[in-house]
Amino acid sequence: MIISKPDFLERARLDRETLEVWIEEEWLLPSRTADELVFSEMDLARAKLIRDLRHDMGVNDEGVGVILNLLDQIHGLRKVMADLLRSAREQSGRVHDLSSMDQDRGDK
Amino acid sequence: MKDPYEILGVAKTASPEEIRKAYLRLAKKLHPDLNPGSKHSEERFKEVSAAYDLLSDADKRQRFDSGEIDASGAERPRERFYKDFAAEAAAGHPYENHSGYADFVETDDIFAELLRRRAREARHARGPDLHYHFSIDFLDAINGATKVLTLPKGGTLHVTIPPGIQEGQILRLRGKGAPSLGEGESGDALVEISINPHKFFSRHGDDIHVDLPITLTEAVLGAQIRAPTPKGPVVLTVPKGSNTGNVLRLKGRGVPRREGHGDEFVTLKVMLPQEPNPELEAFLSQWTPEKSYDPRRDMQS
Repeated sequence: MIISKPDFLERARLDRETLEVWIEEEWLLPSRTADELVFSEMDLARAKLIRDLRHDMGVNDEGVGVILNLLDQIHGLRKVMADLLRSAREQSGRVHDLSSMDQDRGDK
Repeated sequence: MKDPYEILGVAKTASPEEIRKAYLRLAKKLHPDLNPGSKHSEERFKEVSAAYDLLSDADKRQRFDSGEIDASGAERPRERFYKDFAAEAAAGHPYENHSGYADFVETDDIFAELLRRRAREARHARGPDLHYHFSIDFLDAINGATKVLTLPKGGTLHVTIPPGIQEGQILRLRGKGAPSLGEGESGDALVEISINPHKFFSRHGDDIHVDLPITLTEAVLGAQIRAPTPKGPVVLTVPKGSNTGNVLRLKGRGVPRREGHGDEFVTLKVMLPQEPNPELEAFLSQWTPEKSYDPRRDMQS
């Protein structure tokens, strides 16, 4: 779902200048069509997170950049960890199957 | 529904400042984006936000205290959080960051292979799609055309308009979108078509409608005349005694569709000479039509 800039400003409760700063800081990376910026639902959720950090948690602008960078790393790590856990589970499932087959053979 | 004062852990008599402090303390601890793995934090945070939403608004708080609304009366469940998007996003989304584990990838075991695969996927992710609007002429929409779209940021795009395209239809030009952030394929260009109106043709589904002016003589005596169609003029037989509002159908002269074509409907419009004509006036003053010639007969009450 694509969000136009005016809709984005309204839904994120942001003013134009603030949004420009956030994009300049690369806190937000909207995509660009030929003549305008377009935003995703993900960008919107991220903007709300930035707003929460600044308004509700007293994080200053330097802090926001650091936190976003660490959060992005955490999400990268979480995905890799999910992959690893999945493949570990598949492995152990296979090992389990083999051992039960051995058991069957032993019974005969 | 729990009591919002209880959720925030403040007294009923708490000042706005105390409420705000309590909220900030809890929000810092519970914000889902700072606790990406904890369902419990998310639930608690939603409760806390809703409670703060209610109690931070003097009007709503007063109405809640006086029993006019219950705790849910002000609850606006927060949409999805950033973490939900980060968890679901496909590899290669713009905020993806591998630096948390990039050094592990150097080793040579099965786990490192998994990490490498993820990094590869991200590198090969498609570029984003780009969106354009393009207005084309009425006849190009019906007959099809190849157009060159000049992009606002420079460069051009060759757009093949298929015959019979409709208003609002979107053409996908594969690989003409933005390049991949890594080594993947480019995204697509999505061109939304709008169709400019025509001077005298109008379109209704697959049919073309046109008003065709004819002379009094052609109307009374009948004639073979040239009628415009989207593919050029064709000869049309106007029957003897035709009238304004009569509709003639030119089969298969409309908009191309999957099988065959729509039709063109020609609505005749009898036009008198623009200048006053003494001969016509002289003739009509002599002429006595039949009694049945009363065009306003149906309007009499």
